[in-house]
Amino acid sequence: MTGTPRPDILDETVEVWFGPQHVSAHGWAAKLTLVGDYIVECDPHAGYFHRSAEKCLEFRTFRQGSLILERLCMLEAFLAEYPYVAAVEQIAGLEVPERARVMRTIMMEASRIHSLQFWWGQFAAELGLFTMLLWPWVDREFFLDAFEELTGSRHAVSYNTPGGVKYDFTEKSVRLLERAIERLEEHLPKFRDMVLRSPTFKMRTQGVGQFTAEQGIKWGLSGPNIKACGIPMDLRKDDPDPNLAYDMVDWEVPVTESMEHPGESDAYDRMVQRFKEIETSVDIIRQLLPQVPEGPIVDPKARAKANRLPEGEAYGRVEGTRGITTLWLKTTEKAQTPYRAKIRGPCFASYYALKHLVPGSRFADFIVMFGSLDPYPGWWDR
Amino acid sequence: MGALATLGDMFRILRHVFRQIFTRPFTYFYPFEDRYYPERTRGRHIHIRENCTGCGQCVRACPTVAIRIDKSDRKYEKDAALYFDYTRCIFCGLCVQACRFNALFHTKVVDISEGEREDLLYGPDKITTLDREPLEWRGRRFR
Repeated sequence: MTGTPRPDILDETVEVWFGPQHVSAHGWAAKLTLVGDYIVECDPHAGYFHRSAEKCLEFRTFRQGSLILERLCMLEAFLAEYPYVAAVEQIAGLEVPERARVMRTIMMEASRIHSLQFWWGQFAAELGLFTMLLWPWVDREFFLDAFEELTGSRHAVSYNTPGGVKYDFTEKSVRLLERAIERLEEHLPKFRDMVLRSPTFKMRTQGVGQFTAEQGIKWGLSGPNIKACGIPMDLRKDDPDPNLAYDMVDWEVPVTESMEHPGESDAYDRMVQRFKEIETSVDIIRQLLPQVPEGPIVDPKARAKANRLPEGEAYGRVEGTRGITTLWLKTTEKAQTPYRAKIRGPCFASYYALKHLVPGSRFADFIVMFGSLDPYPGWWDR
Repeated sequence: MGALATLGDMFRILRHVFRQIFTRPFTYFYPFEDRYYPERTRGRHIHIRENCTGCGQCVRACPTVAIRIDKSDRKYEKDAALYFDYTRCIFCGLCVQACRFNALFHTKVVDISEGEREDLLYGPDKITTLDREPLEWRGRRFR
């Protein structure tokens, strides 16, 4: 007796586009192949945010170039513009004054906190916890006020310049920064308990998007995503930049090691890790603020030297909020603009890691995995 | 014990409610009342033609080609007329830093929205002064 043949389960697949109109998908789209509620294939697409930033850099002078970098990732503007500035400083042979070194480091850590606060609110909102969207963002406003007082702009700060920084600390800007940090320190333990002890949050995140450290390194992840696996990979410690003041601070690389699955990380561990990152940044700022030395904020020869660069090539690197950000710069003799600038953002790797990470999980867990890796479209569409 | 705890919670809520009633609202009544802007706010520019020498460094520094200079339009001995295109300007502050004759500054004015696109092209008559037509809305004038 021959009955009807059993249907192959892969014949009943449905293709769903997640994005680009989805509210969580701001500038990205992933094609998901579903069987029932399970994802069997994930195909992330890049290019919705593409504005050819690398080509634009070839038509901007060395003082203008950092403006494009900071627009790639507005959330970590102080950090994002740094690799370009560092590369120009290396080629031009500029010396950064001590005061500018410390000020740069302070503002970069403040930028990291602000970016993590934004991410944390957004991640909570993606899980449906909308209260946690608004409360960290209120605290974030205090950081934005400090940025505005210092540079005159809330997001597009344009603070670093080859050979130093553009704006000096005023009494009020330091006071506003301290106020923002005090408010954060007051609220952070409360918010952390609210998020990490929430049963809803635990159920949504524990065991979701789990990968081993080996896999993470193979996919090219860096930053908090790798540190959450228990590997202290941090550019601030491994390869300290001479133009940043991390050597003046006593700090440890924050690492999360899970008790249930050592050497692996899930979305919950990555959340824990990012809270630790905020604490480390607060610690660094607290140690550096009293140590700001007196002196000039920019190399007096910077203007003349950065106008035309000698032939050379350099790597600018920084440990960004989302991972290692590098920029390779090549110049020709007496160049006013770069010959080629290649940006390596941290998020291309974390975005395309979804391709390996997502298949086999449920549809509702997709946004948890995406959010927990913290990708930002500007870093893969450059 | 449970009833006491509930009563305590009720009083806590009431205290919170009364505190919220008598505090100042967190929001601004925008067109009539504006927020605080710091000294360094990078708003629209002001061009001081007495100090200008027409060197054109601001034009060279601009990354978005938002500034046009007309050297034949002279009001003083060696100044020039500047045309700012605020549809292109990104308020990066490089032109102000490039000016070494104290002729170009940012101001705190950031609400430069206009009804017509052409009105955002600030000619020498608009860029040299902060005066502007008051905005009328539903019979009320503000700004």
